[in-house]
Amino acid sequence: MIRALSIAAAALLLAACHEIPQDAAKPYAGKEDTKAYAGDMFKGDKAKYEAALADRAKFQNDYSPYRSAGLNAQAAAPAAAPAKQ
Amino acid sequence: MTVNDGVPGERSISVACMHCTDAPCMAVCPVDCFYRTEDQIVLHDKDLCIGCGYCFYACPFGAPQFPQAGAFGLRGKMDKCTFCAGGPEENNSVEEFRKYGRNRIAEGKLPACAEMCSTKALLAGDAPVITTIYKTRVTTRGKGDEIWGWAMAYKESGKLADANTGPAAGGAKS
Repeated sequence: MIRALSIAAAALLLAACHEIPQDAAKPYAGKEDTKAYAGDMFKGDKAKYEAALADRAKFQNDYSPYRSAGLNAQAAAPAAAPAKQ
Repeated sequence: MTVNDGVPGERSISVACMHCTDAPCMAVCPVDCFYRTEDQIVLHDKDLCIGCGYCFYACPFGAPQFPQAGAFGLRGKMDKCTFCAGGPEENNSVEEFRKYGRNRIAEGKLPACAEMCSTKALLAGDAPVITTIYKTRVTTRGKGDEIWGWAMAYKESGKLADANTGPAAGGAKS
């Protein structure tokens, strides 16, 4: 009896542990979109498309080699002579 | 969007779409005009949108925008940040440009706001890309482990305040 009750209690307690899906089925009713890499630029080559985006993303980094090359060029430039008084 | 434009202390706020994983706009749309691309970008079909405004109320970021030119609460089709990924029309077609603006993603480019942001406050890309950029910033600018965690976020954030604003204008002290 006690065992049955404990199993029932455990089942009741654990019932709250599972997650009910919150997403209602929402079918998209509009036109089918083409893939971003399906156009003339990439011709369906997903790897090329992802590589292009990754290359582009590097330019967002303040400290990427692309940007630091510019900073190094500035640092290497000769400093202006101090103004004479 | 700029708050207190021209006044000292003005603040600029991005109202870009966050392309939520569980997007509330998608959930409330009565005509199901929203869809998600393979890159998890949330887009919508303007040919289906009826301009009801439910998405405007559901979105916690204020991303959906409606025409405001007319009087008496004129409503039109919803317009929102598309991550510069266009819409369901053919990529880079005239029709897509007219309805959704330029599809830079299909050109292998990032959204214009992120690429043009002069201070790089706006960044675009997958989470690993953004994480790498922030990690580089933190390590390069000389901050160590103390930059992460609860203390910096809620207790020590005043230390990051600019010298001009002073400690009183920094983060909340507890």
